[in-house]
Amino acid sequence: METPTKETLKEIIGHQFPGGEYIIAHWENFLLTECTGSELLPNGLAHPVALFHVPILGAGTSIGEMFELGHANSPFSIGIESYEWEIHQPLLEEVTYKISGKIEGAERKTEAGRVFDRIQFRFDLALEGSPVASSTIIWHYNRGRSDED
Amino acid sequence: MKIEVGFRIPSWEMPSVERSRMRTMAAILRDPNPVHWDPNLVDSLPFEVGKKTINQGPLGLSYMVNMLHDWAGPGCVKRIFMTFPHIVLSEDRVIAKGQVTQIDGTDIECDIWLERDEKKLLVGNATVSGERVV
Repeated sequence: METPTKETLKEIIGHQFPGGEYIIAHWENFLLTECTGSELLPNGLAHPVALFHVPILGAGTSIGEMFELGHANSPFSIGIESYEWEIHQPLLEEVTYKISGKIEGAERKTEAGRVFDRIQFRFDLALEGSPVASSTIIWHYNRGRSDED
Repeated sequence: MKIEVGFRIPSWEMPSVERSRMRTMAAILRDPNPVHWDPNLVDSLPFEVGKKTINQGPLGLSYMVNMLHDWAGPGCVKRIFMTFPHIVLSEDRVIAKGQVTQIDGTDIECDIWLERDEKKLLVGNATVSGERVV
């Protein structure tokens, strides 16, 4: 995929994902929790690791689309800067979360001779009108070495 | 046990990061990145790690959640922030560790990290509800 200009990159700031709903099924939480090496949590609690994919899929997007929106050169060109999850209420299985998501920031940066686009996504989960959790994802879309080297 | 600033949270160990779990995770996440399931492709990339697969970032993060749950109880995590300075590979033995940095009522702030051979692969911090431990 072609590297966007700095101006094109800025155009994605404010992009809203369609939004939608997501139910963490018991089977999904079971498999997900097993992947972490933990026992299933008690009382229908979902493992917090769900806060990576549930907001993405529930907002009506996908990891693949997030790569495309940032014009990733390939899946291998993506690096993680940080993930931040704020949890106001523990996640539960089998309830319907309302989810929204958007792109909060996109800028080209050069650090230590490396050029990358820093893109920040933000997702919010709510249950019956009350905030449940938020997820902030910051990825680096690597663009190669700087000509300034 | 009295929890004070500087308290070392009991560590949590993943004896071997399993490829099969990365594959299950990739399916659940709808993650199209083959570095999580194709060791031949990883071998061809400039990571110089051989025929390994690369663990998903959220999975590495989850080991620290497990440490916090074992210490302060399921549902204790109120906030978690994580950076990923190094990759976690299949067959790695990794250990989640943490240390209390601040206590505000029942909220406990802590630094958390994931180690392989004493090298910090993931580094972050968290806020935990300490109702069961303070």
